[in-house]
Amino acid sequence: MIKRSFLGLKKPELKYDFVESEAKEPDRIPEPSSIVLLLDEPLDSTRINLVKTGDQVGKNEKIYLYKNSREYVVSPIQGEITSIESYPGEFGDIGTYLVVEKSAHRNDGGENTEISGLLAKPTLEGAGKYLKTLPGAPPFDILADKNGEIHTIVVTGFDQDLGATTSQYFLSHFREELKEGIKILKDLTHVPKVAVTAPGYVEDQPGFEGMQLLLVSGLYPEALRMMIMKNHLNITVPPGKSCLDMGVCFMSAEAVISVARAFKDGLPDFEKLITVTGKDGTRTKIKAMIGTRISELFKYLNININQNDRVVINGPMQGFATYTLSHPVQPDMDSIMVQDVDDIPLISDYPCINCGKCIRICPANIPVNLLVRRLEANMFEEAAEKFDLQSCIECGLCSYVCTARIPLFQYIRLGKHELLQIKAEAGTEERNG
Amino acid sequence: MAKRLKLIVSHAPFWHDGETISRMNLNMILALMPAAIFGVIRFGAPAVGVLALGVASAMLFEFLFNLVSKRPVTIGDFDAALIGLLLSMMVPATTPWWVLVCGTFLAVVIGKQIYGGIGGNPFNPVILSLAVLMVSWPGFFDVDAALVDYRFDFKALAPLPALKHHGTGILYYFSTGDLFMGDQIGAIGCMFPLGILIGGIYLIIRGYIKWEVTVSFIAGLVVTALIFRMADPEAYAGPMIHLFSGYTLLAAFFLVTENSSSPVNRIPMLIYGVLGGFLVILIRNVGVYPDGTVFAILLINLVNPLIDTIRPKALGRRVNNA
Repeated sequence: MIKRSFLGLKKPELKYDFVESEAKEPDRIPEPSSIVLLLDEPLDSTRINLVKTGDQVGKNEKIYLYKNSREYVVSPIQGEITSIESYPGEFGDIGTYLVVEKSAHRNDGGENTEISGLLAKPTLEGAGKYLKTLPGAPPFDILADKNGEIHTIVVTGFDQDLGATTSQYFLSHFREELKEGIKILKDLTHVPKVAVTAPGYVEDQPGFEGMQLLLVSGLYPEALRMMIMKNHLNITVPPGKSCLDMGVCFMSAEAVISVARAFKDGLPDFEKLITVTGKDGTRTKIKAMIGTRISELFKYLNININQNDRVVINGPMQGFATYTLSHPVQPDMDSIMVQDVDDIPLISDYPCINCGKCIRICPANIPVNLLVRRLEANMFEEAAEKFDLQSCIECGLCSYVCTARIPLFQYIRLGKHELLQIKAEAGTEERNG
Repeated sequence: MAKRLKLIVSHAPFWHDGETISRMNLNMILALMPAAIFGVIRFGAPAVGVLALGVASAMLFEFLFNLVSKRPVTIGDFDAALIGLLLSMMVPATTPWWVLVCGTFLAVVIGKQIYGGIGGNPFNPVILSLAVLMVSWPGFFDVDAALVDYRFDFKALAPLPALKHHGTGILYYFSTGDLFMGDQIGAIGCMFPLGILIGGIYLIIRGYIKWEVTVSFIAGLVVTALIFRMADPEAYAGPMIHLFSGYTLLAAFFLVTENSSSPVNRIPMLIYGVLGGFLVILIRNVGVYPDGTVFAILLINLVNPLIDTIRPKALGRRVNNA
């Protein structure tokens, strides 16, 4: 954890890590005998379900939970579904875990051919329906939905959050494949502009000819999407709108490369690269199949997880803490960080003392000190109208510096969530008359 | 299933810069030490008594209020201790105990807790309490009278009241260097500008106080005093005596920068400070009080919410005129 420097007058500087240029090839975790697949859809007994415990799934077979479902997972192994469980996520979001045990036999026989058919004759719509669970989670479904509205694709070759160098690794080690991937992307989507974010040091390196590079400084939060929009693309995103609304789609370098590989081999590869940070801060890159439980990673790396430790997925500033080591490796999981129980900074229920540190550090110029007073009092609409709740780019820096240790970022996320609920309710009432 | 391992789950971010309110307040107290120790050396046991009673009674009032209002006990954040220390550093060493206890009650309970505690007070608690004390018992704040039994090896005359009552003719009496090194009389913690400066600069370097407020307060004070001086050198003193005597420096570093009652945006902080410095000189030169610092700060506390609405547009918001 990066502590406050003695010289508090200077703004705290959270520096991104740079990937080692001579890094060795990351180890590969052996294929586990049972995997967990996470579907972003709750269990619902009123819908017609398509899978049940005991069902056989083939390698590369696409699984839908229900008829008319849009969410799917592709199973990277052949096996049998042994358990279907509910997975409670953040802010009441509920997903579903499917546990698949590896097995050799299969009733209907043969490998799934749909996906290889698609890879031989690609269409954007098909890619949206098959390829979004590739490592890096290429957002083909969004690109297909918003076909024509997207004018720029930004490939992130520089990891957004701290503690991960996954995207940088792909950018610096697989330039040719990245170029191929970008070509495939352009052919599929017809998006005129594809730019690549990259750390500043690649400027003098060969191999990036023909790519439009957006060089990002090494200071958090410069690599965040909203900062890229503001500093590099000069696009103002109005409060409450997303980058997609402005016609810009972000996609990780790993996603582009896994698309390139899938098309080259004619088969999808579900191996995900993850940066794992241990309790002592040592950082290791490791490859694991999507669906591998993160406990397998810790076992392989000899990291002991004890009672009341914290396992942080996808970065210390924006990520989430998991409550179970059975959480699977996900297509968009770039980093895992383990914090020892003694290293966990506690939050408090103190009120804001108005010291102004959050104001100094906020990259979006939000009056955090006034905003949090509204959020604490559940005044979400006022917070959005007068105190710029919706302008927040969710970098988490206000919470990081807060002297009173108020969970500011959580209040802001909660505020945005509640605001959506309020709007949805208002919409329903309007429709009902 | 094997025994479930319980992990700590919380919301991002998972890092923190390690700062706490109590550490911040302890640093403030540490920064006050040079000036406080100087006061103790000069006045001896009575000064120790006043400082100790100030800190103790402030913490006690906070504790009692926590009990009465059935809220968590907050004396551990040392905010009450800081208030008590500051208040007792701003009174003469001979102040009776009951005046001091009234003062800490006013500061902690009326000045801070009834607004909801730390961060809720619209006025600086110390300043609010001092203002009430000065209006109620002005006699105890007449430093020359209060310290009449002391014998000093320098010309013991409180600079600002002397200036008020005798005019600029008395100025030959004070040299800037002597004032700066502490050869003056005044409240316990306000006689040693060098010590206050060391503590204050320490706080600025550590980032515990808003340097914009301090710098602009001093700038506003110096510029205003200079303007008065240039307008009529016979009637008004120059900026140095204003800067190095009375509550000025203590206020610049420790009082106008009080978090809850001062702005947080850059331009408002500058306006706030300049306004404060301007008002101090205005009250000293034109008003009836020898040292206008307390009332000047009360007044700028009052306008703080208004000027703090001057803030930059948030990301994505456009200017709506045009």
